[in-house]
Amino acid sequence: MTNKEIYVLSAKQVSIQQPLCEDWMTQPIVYQEPFVRSIDPSFKDYVSPIEARRMGKILKRALATSKEAVKASGLDTVDAIITGTGYGCIENTEFFLDKLSKEGEQLLSPTYFMQSTHNTISSLVAIQTKNHGYNATYAHKGISFDSALQDAWMQFRLGKISSALIGGHDEMTETFYNILKKGGVMGHDDEMCGEAAVSVVLGDKSDNALCKLMNFKMLHQPTMDVLKEVAAGFQADFVLTGISGNHKNDEAYLKECKEMFGDSKLLRYKHLFGESFTASGIGVYVAAQCLKAGYVPRHLFVNDKDFTDKKPGNILIFNRSNGTNYSLTLLEA
Amino acid sequence: MTKPILITGTGVVSAIGLDKNETLDALLNNRSGVGPLVYLKTDHKEFPVGEVKLSDAEMRKRLNINDNAITTRTALMGMIALDEALKDAKLTSDMLPKIGFISGTTVGGMDMSEQYYLDYIGESTHKEYIAVHDCGSCSEMTANHFGKFAFITTLSTACSSAANAIILGANMIRCGEADIVVVGGSECITKFHLNGFNALMILDTKPCRPFDATRAGLNLGEGAAYLVLETEESAKRRGVKAQAILSGYGNACDAFHQTASSPDGEGAYRAMKEALQLADIQPDKVDYINAHGTGTPNNDVSESQAMIRLFGKNVPPMSSTKPFTGHTTSASGSIEAVFCILALQHGFLPVNLNFSQPMEDGIVPVHQSVKKELKHILCNAFGFGGNDSSLLLSKPEL
Repeated sequence: MTNKEIYVLSAKQVSIQQPLCEDWMTQPIVYQEPFVRSIDPSFKDYVSPIEARRMGKILKRALATSKEAVKASGLDTVDAIITGTGYGCIENTEFFLDKLSKEGEQLLSPTYFMQSTHNTISSLVAIQTKNHGYNATYAHKGISFDSALQDAWMQFRLGKISSALIGGHDEMTETFYNILKKGGVMGHDDEMCGEAAVSVVLGDKSDNALCKLMNFKMLHQPTMDVLKEVAAGFQADFVLTGISGNHKNDEAYLKECKEMFGDSKLLRYKHLFGESFTASGIGVYVAAQCLKAGYVPRHLFVNDKDFTDKKPGNILIFNRSNGTNYSLTLLEA
Repeated sequence: MTKPILITGTGVVSAIGLDKNETLDALLNNRSGVGPLVYLKTDHKEFPVGEVKLSDAEMRKRLNINDNAITTRTALMGMIALDEALKDAKLTSDMLPKIGFISGTTVGGMDMSEQYYLDYIGESTHKEYIAVHDCGSCSEMTANHFGKFAFITTLSTACSSAANAIILGANMIRCGEADIVVVGGSECITKFHLNGFNALMILDTKPCRPFDATRAGLNLGEGAAYLVLETEESAKRRGVKAQAILSGYGNACDAFHQTASSPDGEGAYRAMKEALQLADIQPDKVDYINAHGTGTPNNDVSESQAMIRLFGKNVPPMSSTKPFTGHTTSASGSIEAVFCILALQHGFLPVNLNFSQPMEDGIVPVHQSVKKELKHILCNAFGFGGNDSSLLLSKPEL
């Protein structure tokens, strides 16, 4: 085990806010719709038009955020590429499933199938950047990105890697959104569903880092006693919650926050970025950018009376995914 | 490697058996489970497959699950294997809140989604299956049948998913995140990937022939297997014995193509090499390699090259067990790891069935039953996108 420090060197996003920048800190876009698709940047700098034609949006966004994040990190290459995605390449999966269901089992083209598996994203980034290092993909609901982060965090501690590109990628089509709403998976109450593409580079050198990764923990169906015990190692100035307008979850969320973190100031981000299975990756991005900028925008405070222009020393990203899966990520300036 | 990772329990279900006893018997007697399609509803009757010999209803009955319960085939097979692994390691449900569960799958609940997709987009029937489409739900359904695990996550690296779940579990133990982690994977055959593989023209209409000159593709299989990974201290405390030691593991990316392997087997070479390096074991100490060996022209050439690069002229005895089970995709890493543990325990080399003619410049796989004391076994699992992993399983020192 090594005691080397782990830094967040860079973090980039494509979402329903302005892509590949931090405009949301000062000029957030406010939506009223229950389902919004991402604002895409021009992809021509990241993938040739011929290749782009065959790619689903999730892949193009992953290439854009990955390449920008690696560039901003100052590293030439990374030791590991790890992706979290709740649903994977859903656009291509849907195309293939739709053809299979409507046209039957003859004459299917392999194109959509080839880019339908969850690990297409991590592999594509590896192929495009010729990276033979550790490569993995997690697909576990609302803790997909968190699982990827945990994998890297452990390998840093074991001294196996000294840098990693962590991705959180989920796309959402109109059809799929409607299916998930029908199934009670998305679109609860006032919840806005978005799409998330986020890439974070971790490294062991502090030069130009956004912040430091101090601690991480993942839990499944914990009791309140376990939550309180774990919370002791995760106290912070601010707690970035994933409250989303899903009333039942939000209510339990706020109650648990109170018990676990007392009077820590609560923040939120899903009102700007929407809900998705990899939204927690956006949470890590938001917290890291706030720590770098040295302030927390007023529109992130859950209670306006908590607002302070004090420089944040540390921020905890507390992910409570429907009360079943939890993660705690502690970042420090 | 700093501290040994013990394997104190295993459970497996595949086309050759519903538990370890049946599996061992089939492996020792060269009895394949690949045959004509019975359970999957598809037009493609021309492809032999390695199905688990139970319908979903029969699996539910075996597991005492209500017939109206929402289940997926991947989760059901997972439960059968997990049940055996937990009992094998003497783990009871009250112990689970301190134990992690890591599973690998790619199809998740696709078996239900492909049946009900038109209902999902049209009428609102069968909508209760929507929430179990994703991979994570499948792992949770499997795990929650037995109690509350401390944490659960899901690897999805196509055909190396279960192998990577084993690697993550090992890292968690080495990091001190848990004393016991249950790892593995589960995957049922779906119309979705049967058609996908067919469209890619990598399915054989005859029984698959890995490493054979006449090989013409793979047969799909299905199944599940879980391994209980544990620290030495914990096993001692609980009075359970190691069946094997996970002494090394490697993960590398071929970074060549989304659905094809590189001609020189770069990813496979790196994964195997890393596994040996982590264990600090020289290549000549490897007694057997359980190859990924799918039977596609491309995989077997690439994997052979990787083995020749690593072992030179002295490639250890090697075979693919895919002709027994078919390619169990995401679950293959843990299913074949259990085969390797059985081989270590009972001292035999699993046979590469259906082999008759060597490939040009190829390695001749084990094609006759051999009883032999084994110490170290490499077990390969490679996935689409070049997600290549290799595990080194060793006999415990007594």
